[in-house]
Amino acid sequence: MTAEQVTQGLRERIGDALLESEPRGDRRVYMTIDPAEVVAAADELFNKMGGRYVITAATDRREKHGSFLVTHFFSFDDDDLYVILHANVPEDDPRIASITPTIPGAGWAEREMQDLLGVEAVGHPDPRRLVLPDDWPTGVFPLRTDFSSQDKPEASMEGAPQMTAIPEGAVVVPIGPYFPTQHEPESFAVFVDGEVVVGSDYRGFYNHRGIEKLGSSDLTYNQIPFIAERICGICGFVHSCAYCMAVEEAAGIEVPRRADYIRTIFLELERLHSHMLWTGVAGHIIGYDTLFMQTWRMREPLMWLAEQLSGNRKTYGMNIVGGVRRDVDKKDFPKIEKVLADIEREWTALQEAVPGDRTLTARLGNVGVITPEEVRELCSLGPVARGSGDTVDIRVDHPYAAYDELEVSKCVEDGCDTLARTFVRLRETPVAISIIRQCLEQMPEGEIRAEITEEIPPGLQGIAAVEAPRGESFHWVLTGEENRPERWRVRAPTYSNLQAVSTMINGDVLADVPIDIGSLDPCYSCTDRMTVIDRRSGQMRVMTREEMRNSRNR
Amino acid sequence: MGVLKTLWSKLKQAILALKPGRVTLGYPFTPREPEEGFRGLPRVDVNRCIGCGGCAEVCPARCIRVVDTDQTTRVLCFLHERCTFCGRCAEVCPVNAIEMTKEFELSTDDPHEDLVGEYHIWMGPCERCGRCFEAPSALDRLKRTGMRCDEIDAKCAIACPAGVEADSEETKS
Ligand code: SF4
Ligand code: SF4
Repeated sequence: MTAEQVTQGLRERIGDALLESEPRGDRRVYMTIDPAEVVAAADELFNKMGGRYVITAATDRREKHGSFLVTHFFSFDDDDLYVILHANVPEDDPRIASITPTIPGAGWAEREMQDLLGVEAVGHPDPRRLVLPDDWPTGVFPLRTDFSSQDKPEASMEGAPQMTAIPEGAVVVPIGPYFPTQHEPESFAVFVDGEVVVGSDYRGFYNHRGIEKLGSSDLTYNQIPFIAERICGICGFVHSCAYCMAVEEAAGIEVPRRADYIRTIFLELERLHSHMLWTGVAGHIIGYDTLFMQTWRMREPLMWLAEQLSGNRKTYGMNIVGGVRRDVDKKDFPKIEKVLADIEREWTALQEAVPGDRTLTARLGNVGVITPEEVRELCSLGPVARGSGDTVDIRVDHPYAAYDELEVSKCVEDGCDTLARTFVRLRETPVAISIIRQCLEQMPEGEIRAEITEEIPPGLQGIAAVEAPRGESFHWVLTGEENRPERWRVRAPTYSNLQAVSTMINGDVLADVPIDIGSLDPCYSCTDRMTVIDRRSGQMRVMTREEMRNSRNR
Repeated sequence: MGVLKTLWSKLKQAILALKPGRVTLGYPFTPREPEEGFRGLPRVDVNRCIGCGGCAEVCPARCIRVVDTDQTTRVLCFLHERCTFCGRCAEVCPVNAIEMTKEFELSTDDPHEDLVGEYHIWMGPCERCGRCFEAPSALDRLKRTGMRCDEIDAKCAIACPAGVEADSEETKS
């Protein structure tokens, strides 16, 4: 699909409701449609043309434009094309038809839009509150511009969501808000019949930090990268990178080639340490601690290397709009090569040893199954998708940074289960090593940072997608006044992947649930982005605020 | 067959685990210096700092507070509790007054006491408005003890409540 074909197809389907279509280069097409036809347009893009749904963003533009801007993003991965579908929803009637019945993967994004901006998704099959805490008052929408980042509304339990109906005869087993194998707060209510999982419900977003709000109300363009890097505690660099690239695309800033290469090196260093970390954690979840100890031992020199190169072992702080802040010096190359060689040797040994181990195959095989059809419907990403035969890898399909000049092989498995996802990550590790080596070889000399002398004008848009260790990390920036974005939307890969959990665990036995969830390499903080303490809600038992307080003091 | 395979796998794993030997470090009993170029706690050299406030302006964590306590003292207050150790402050400082030290052992039960860096910068006051004004360099600051109003920094003139315009061309550099 080229931009013209997409425009053509949409015009045929919705006619004059396609108000505007503006391709930007070959890789993006920005469209504005009449909100009345949003479902038809989404159906055309997703079902007829075979596009992939990325995310939905809503923006409060009442002050200047008298409307809310609702934007759905789609991707055509075979053709390196992103389609941005804008619809202006009038401020006095902030409602738009829900696309979730057509695209199940849009479920969360639309609920988030209702929660944070108060734009109702009419016809949403599950319109319960998603992001806001239980004690948030109804009718207060934190991402609207008339809500200050400092406001603290009066608590009210009116809008607290109820747990979904429990199937007949089933018992609820809570996993979370704090659970030993989940390293961040999240809450799954797993419904079991005997040992078998028959359904589940999720309540998360306990770590929502309001980063998008800060970005459009408090921070400036060059402060955001450092905050963005803290979206994730493992793969934060992808976020600062994607954010910077989105701003650069919007403002038309040309990044020096050397900076692209340096970004690529760090992106791959991050993937390496992330996959090694995950392999260890997965081992730990299934009680295979040798794997945990050994992968983490191998990983440590990598962290020290990152510290040498960037100044910090994990929050590299390298990215800034226009390039990177620190050069990778020639004299550091031998160190990098040494660490990579050590890891490669040991990883090969591990790859030879581990798959033969019955612990692994017995615990990981045939559990957490997600079929290719489900992957497509739920818009899963990264190793989850590639473990089920999906071939999307943003590095190859939508090359960014220096990937267009590098050889990246996609690692795809078709087992559709947790074991397949494990293999994808095991195999991606050496690929990351090879990419870093290519970078060291091909890196051109030159500047590392573009000089930006002029202010970035308001009203420009840019998007960026980065293949994080967990899948596509997607950022959209709409530039604004006062040296900060008007809207900055972040979609971490776990946001999409978590929506697949209930499908994955259905039919498994309870003991497999932790590793099923673990196999996503879930990153709740990325997904959550504000925090407020929550309570467990549900028909079974309601824990009151007092009870919480008492249990804490006990 | 399966049993053999597993045994073989276990053997390989044993080698993998035994080969590196003991890797645990003696930390904290044996101190471990961070690598060269590490970004630890930022520290300000008060003799260099000209009090321009640039560091406070760029700090993504908004953890640097700048207050003038009187006509000749500007206080930079670093709330290190919130610091992200990004080093942006050191990067933009026009006189390289900030050093990202190698200090990283910052755990404390009293961050409000232990993790606050307060720096008192001596400033030359503007003769007309009486407020602290920023000299382009530490040396200039010395020169300006006479508070000659014709040398007032252009920036100060803009903010000057008396509305006095300085000769901006001359002092812009
Ligand atoms: S290191 Fe970064 S966060 Fe810390 S004071 Fe400097 S600019 Fe602020
Ligand atoms: S001179 Fe440097 S340390 Fe002093 S206020 Fe300016 S930027 Fe900060």
